[in-house]
Amino acid sequence: MFDLKKYRKKSPWILHYNAGSCNGCDIEILACLAPKYDLERFGVINTGNPKQSDIFLVTGPVTYRSRERLVELYTQMPEPKVVIAVGSCSCTGGVFRDMVNVEDGVDRYIPVDVYVAGCATSPELIIDGVVKALEILEQKTKEMEKPLKLFREATLQNSIVNRRHTALKVGEKDEED
Amino acid sequence: MKQTINIPLGSQHIALLEPVRFKFECENEKIIGVDSDVGFVHRGIERACTTKFKFDSIGYVVARVCGLCAITHSLSYTVAIEKLLGGEISKKAKYLRILLLELDRIHSHMLCLSHTCENAGFEAMFMRIMGDRELVMEIQELLTGNRVQFDYISIGGVNRDLSSTVALKIKENLYEVKQKVLGYMDEFTHNWSLSLKFKGIGALSLDDAYIFNAIGPLARASGLNIDVRNEIDYLPFNEVGFLMQTHSDGDINARNLVRLNEILNSILMCENIINGLPEGEIFTKIKGKPKGEAIVRFEAPRGELMYYVKGNGTAMLDRVRIKTPTFSSIPAFSHIFVGQDYADAPAILASFDPCLSCTAK
Repeated sequence: MFDLKKYRKKSPWILHYNAGSCNGCDIEILACLAPKYDLERFGVINTGNPKQSDIFLVTGPVTYRSRERLVELYTQMPEPKVVIAVGSCSCTGGVFRDMVNVEDGVDRYIPVDVYVAGCATSPELIIDGVVKALEILEQKTKEMEKPLKLFREATLQNSIVNRRHTALKVGEKDEED
Repeated sequence: MKQTINIPLGSQHIALLEPVRFKFECENEKIIGVDSDVGFVHRGIERACTTKFKFDSIGYVVARVCGLCAITHSLSYTVAIEKLLGGEISKKAKYLRILLLELDRIHSHMLCLSHTCENAGFEAMFMRIMGDRELVMEIQELLTGNRVQFDYISIGGVNRDLSSTVALKIKENLYEVKQKVLGYMDEFTHNWSLSLKFKGIGALSLDDAYIFNAIGPLARASGLNIDVRNEIDYLPFNEVGFLMQTHSDGDINARNLVRLNEILNSILMCENIINGLPEGEIFTKIKGKPKGEAIVRFEAPRGELMYYVKGNGTAMLDRVRIKTPTFSSIPAFSHIFVGQDYADAPAILASFDPCLSCTAK
């Protein structure tokens, strides 16, 4: 059978969202997809549809009005997904930190896997970030394939069976293995 | 009974580089009403300029209003402060400022043209123009040290000198860009999907351009003779060969041709600057604290940019007001959309070259 998971790494699709940046990083992402830097040689294509994308490129400090859209786009993307924060202001807030309408970085709202620094960041750094994201994507794909043991052994506290702290997280090793 | 359908475009869309939302009210295929929402990237920069930063660092903060016309923002602010402090900068620094301003205009116009091609479905042309744009980005990096956010201009002059090897490289690359742009002129006038398809689409008449206060290439494509470079005297644009580029049709094709002609004119100005660069210092120290009011206008790639700066004699300013080109053009945008096909909406939008992070600040 044609194995989709095996080929996911070969053609990751990118979703790009501008959460209030100055366009500097956005035009650098556009330059990455253009001939000189050519991110498309990794099979990357820019889609406008969150439901088909694997990698989420976010630029800009999250502004008050774009934060709901940011979280909504993130939740609409299917697992596994990787988030890259592009530019200083999406990593920490950058020069916009503590301004009235700014929320100081993407990682306040969604988990970020790769941080790409620089104001404005350069296409070389973005390519490095995406290549790093591909490794993380592969790792996440593998973790999803693992058979998941839902609970550890139940503990007995005050003669009540307690399962509250026994659920395993993704990727966490069972002690007996 | 006629029924209308509301179609939203944005805030996240493949044709858009930045978040803006348009609500189109459509009757069959025709757009009969537009509602636009531009405030997604509001960050509060104007307020931060008066509460958080001192006046000598604001030049680098306002550059982050917009990445595409960063140089125009920092230049306008710097000229306003220099007016308040009363310093005179050297002629060489003035020429270098014009050089970077025009290089920025070339790459911004090329980006807009490539976006127009992409939205027309001409992907190969998009790739061609984006590939050739790298020639300009390369010389910007050589001249200033960064590709997008230059931070090249400071109060009193510029931060880097132009060496002879860089000047030679700029001339070589600009010559190459000029040949490419002449090639585009041919494509944009004779190719079916770029010229004939765009003729008569999204037209703005001369009267409407005047009534709706259109500025920049949008107004010049309709035949309105406005260009701030022709009206100001802080920088010697007329000495380096500035020529007004206008067109009479007012449609998407006319806007593309105006942008192409402006690129050619900017290349000519850059070559003139490099050939006749005067000797002198690039930086003169200006002391003091700003006191009083100053208004400065400059021509950004999208139209007139206006800065109002009010100082009170201390390091913190009283007020910094930024009036950006896209904001002034929104009434004209909304007027053009009415009566067009919905399928043309992304192409029309790309031909305006909107900059929303300027608009919302």
